Amino acid sequence: MKTPLKATALAALGAIAIACAVPPTPAQAQSAWAIDKAAAPLKGTKIKVMFLDRPGYRAIIKLLPEFEKQTGIKVNYEIVPYENAREKQVLNFTSKGDLTMALVDLVWIGEFAESGWIVPIDTYSKDAAITDPNLNLKGFFPLLLNAFGSWDGKVYGLPFDNYSGLMFYNRCMLKESGFDQPPQTWDELKNVYAPKLTKADKKQFAFALQSLRGETQSADSFMRFLWPWGGSLLDKDFKSNLMAPGSQTGLKFRQDLMKYMPPGVVSYDHAEAVNALAQGQVAMITEWSAFYGTLTDPKTSKLGDCLAVAPEPAGPAGRLPALGGFSLAVASQASPAQQKASWLFIQWATSEAIAKPYVEAGGVSGRMAVYGDPAIQAKYKYVKPMVESWQKGVPEYRPRFPAWASLTEIVAEFGSKMMLGEAPVDQGAKEIGTRIETVLKKEGYYDGKKKKLQ
Amino acid sequence: MAQPASRLSHGRFTPLKFLAPSVLALLAVGIWPTIFALVTSLREYKLTRPRSGFPFVGLDNYQAVLTDATFWETLARTAGFYLTVMPVQLALGLAIALMLHRPGWGAVRSLLRVSLVVPLATTYAVVGLIGRLVFNRDFGVANQFASWLGLPGLDWLGNPHGAFAAIALMDIWQWTPFCALIFLAGLSMVPNEIEEAARLETKSHWALLRHVQLPYLLPGLTAVLILRSADILKLFDMVFTMTRGGPGAATELVSIYIQRVGFRIFDMGTASAQAILLLVLTIMLSRLFIRVFYREIER
Amino acid sequence: MNPRNLGKMLHLVGLLALLAFTLFPFYWMVSSSLKEQTDLLAAPPVWTFVPTLSHYAEIWQDDTVSKALLNSLIVAACTTTLAIALGAPAAYALARFDFRGKKDLWFWFISNRMISPIVLALPVYLMAQSAGLLDTHLVLILIYLSFCLPIVVWICTDQFRSIPPDLEQAARLDHANQWDIFWRIYLPLGLPGIAVSAIFSFIFSWNELLYALVLTRSDVQTAPVIATSYMSGYELPWGKIMATGTVIVLPVTVFALLVSRHMVRGLTMGATK
Repeated sequence: MKTPLKATALAALGAIAIACAVPPTPAQAQSAWAIDKAAAPLKGTKIKVMFLDRPGYRAIIKLLPEFEKQTGIKVNYEIVPYENAREKQVLNFTSKGDLTMALVDLVWIGEFAESGWIVPIDTYSKDAAITDPNLNLKGFFPLLLNAFGSWDGKVYGLPFDNYSGLMFYNRCMLKESGFDQPPQTWDELKNVYAPKLTKADKKQFAFALQSLRGETQSADSFMRFLWPWGGSLLDKDFKSNLMAPGSQTGLKFRQDLMKYMPPGVVSYDHAEAVNALAQGQVAMITEWSAFYGTLTDPKTSKLGDCLAVAPEPAGPAGRLPALGGFSLAVASQASPAQQKASWLFIQWATSEAIAKPYVEAGGVSGRMAVYGDPAIQAKYKYVKPMVESWQKGVPEYRPRFPAWASLTEIVAEFGSKMMLGEAPVDQGAKEIGTRIETVLKKEGYYDGKKKKLQ
Repeated sequence: MAQPASRLSHGRFTPLKFLAPSVLALLAVGIWPTIFALVTSLREYKLTRPRSGFPFVGLDNYQAVLTDATFWETLARTAGFYLTVMPVQLALGLAIALMLHRPGWGAVRSLLRVSLVVPLATTYAVVGLIGRLVFNRDFGVANQFASWLGLPGLDWLGNPHGAFAAIALMDIWQWTPFCALIFLAGLSMVPNEIEEAARLETKSHWALLRHVQLPYLLPGLTAVLILRSADILKLFDMVFTMTRGGPGAATELVSIYIQRVGFRIFDMGTASAQAILLLVLTIMLSRLFIRVFYREIER
Repeated sequence: MNPRNLGKMLHLVGLLALLAFTLFPFYWMVSSSLKEQTDLLAAPPVWTFVPTLSHYAEIWQDDTVSKALLNSLIVAACTTTLAIALGAPAAYALARFDFRGKKDLWFWFISNRMISPIVLALPVYLMAQSAGLLDTHLVLILIYLSFCLPIVVWICTDQFRSIPPDLEQAARLDHANQWDIFWRIYLPLGLPGIAVSAIFSFIFSWNELLYALVLTRSDVQTAPVIATSYMSGYELPWGKIMATGTVIVLPVTVFALLVSRHMVRGLTMGATK
């Protein structure tokens, strides 16, 4: 791309990727559909998407040349920080810009779908000429396809960059304090593990919860302490459920757990929490699976072999870990040719065929099959707990309807105020409840006008 | 002001020829967006609900903004910020300007004059990041300084008051040079002979300042007050990268709130109403400053 | 020590203290850019360390940073030139002529800087898109003019106002017209003010982030956009960010150096003597 040397290296990598991706399965050998044939009428089409500066995207960028060579379709991407990704896409879609695909975060799917910016895949999956017979929607983890690929019963996008909340912990620190196993439940963590692991004078703490105001507070901090206790943000009538016993217990638990966390945790974003574990200040964190790379890189982590991964602890209502991810969907503003070309790309990027090279390049695939591979299981410690986390989960871990944009701001504001002690738990919860009900009322969820989809 | 015939004689259109290019340029790029914002403030304009259209709602948005507790809270907080940083910037800026203006130590003065540009030249977002690095509880140098002075380390950014102090300090660092440079420009307008004569007459710096230099500083002072007021109401990048408005809402200044409303919730109608209200506020403040401080330099 | 020397020593101490205050965060940024990641995150912070150029190597790896610097340079230089070219004459008119509505016009110039860009970003974006100017230098230059022109007008108006009108008498006797008077008398004498406003105009254009984020894609990304693009939310590559910050500050400092000799005090009265 930038220098001949780099291009050669990438081409070489692409070639290796192709070589690895072609253990011929009977189905493939028999199928008359080949991506290059399907793409023939679309040769030269340019498609555009936004990417984030994260391992999963860097992985697909490495594999891109293979796609471009096979199909003749040019894939343009713009790398933006997550902070700006939604706003740039919204601006683009509302002014008929140049994006032909949408990168859809779990919490944006309702908004993008209801605004008509993305196209349901059945528009194109019916067309055999451009649909891979090995598409195998069932091969995705159902939870992922449902959570950030579908809305109101229709599939819009295919899971591309997939996350699960996991517990990363310092095995050595636990062993020092007499623990051979990680905690299985939150109660265990707080009552048994935390007191022994917190040594304030040595500046060591048991746990760090990233709680910076923003999506970090709403998703990572606040919501995490609702579901495992049987609580939730909304009840089935879409009224606030924060005063229910489950929610209250969970939130109070979080306040209580704070005495085992470093002070100032309310200003911790992901980087700070991960760093605290990596530098040995904290024994356990519950973070997104994507941080596995950072925690195993000797340049950024002192953990080495002490790093271990487990599923998130369970609460009284079960193990309900944090869920997140991005899917790729076809944008409705694109021309028909671009839409077809985009569809081809999306299928390819999330296909079972390239799942293994994708994982090896640093991505996290949403395909179940690739994690059955013993080589992959052995190499990546996060696979087992992550697959376990994806067996059962709540798609509406965070409501995915369009109103989430407003709700997350409310939750973030008062969630962090609660943690700072500026609002007691019940008062803060009530305030959140009142405000979100005002928003939902304006959206029309209470007078039957709007379907209650989360 | 009457025109003595011998003073200035110019055609009626001469001012126009000097002014027209700039006025037209500003009109071209400035007027339409402002009108758009004004019109949007009168409509329900939710970018992410294109299907509900953009109906005209009159003054509803304004009413919503004026009854929004959070808006007043952030405005109050911004006012607190303003009253914290402005006096410091003005006093320190004046001190710097006076020290630079005073003859002696030419090389050091030149060095300082050039280095004044450095804080201003640092990208606002990077200033915020430097702040995050400096004020970090563990590896930040601010706590190291504190420990040298025998004070306990503070969790600057995790503590509401600490975070507020931290953003104030970074703002003071970045903008004091601005004040200093404007005051310096003002001081340099004092005619040489008047200043020299005054220096011979009195040893008191204070008297020199009050009677000779002050008139030349007043226009600059007004400029600084107006510009900084507008800027603090617009302050966003530095605070956002440093604290995101947190912890809690401790550093949520009004501009961060508007960004939240306009670019996250994408409720452009409300955000426009907020911006127009702030514009009115800024204009009122500016006129007030002009009335109180501005004096034409007497000749 | 006699009072005179004491005064001089205090002066020096004051200057040096200010120098330290002004440059410290900058020093910290530069030194951080030279530290290895482990040194950067060392608690307590280290003042002596083995420097490394790896962060700089990283950012120069592809030409994103150099392209961004070039873009910023083009935009800032053009905006500044345009702002001075349009603003100085306007300032002269506001300083020297008299006409109805002068005060209001002058206030209108300044008020262009008052409205929050967050709210103007959307209409500006729509405007630029319909004119096909997205991701071009021109659109940034035009938008930046909206906040640089007021600064130039303001500072230069005051500067010109302070020039004694009797300087013109000599020129008037030579039957010079307004433009000549402006060009030959006011402009040279007003250099300190013009220099200061040029520096500010350059700096504000250089540092502007919001419009640049909204209006550029990949071709015309300016330096601040690149600096913030490293904050993708998850990891914070401190070394890389500090290195980028350092690199961004340098051109502006050089520009200021070049222009600052005109900032030196000196309204020469020699013209009429």
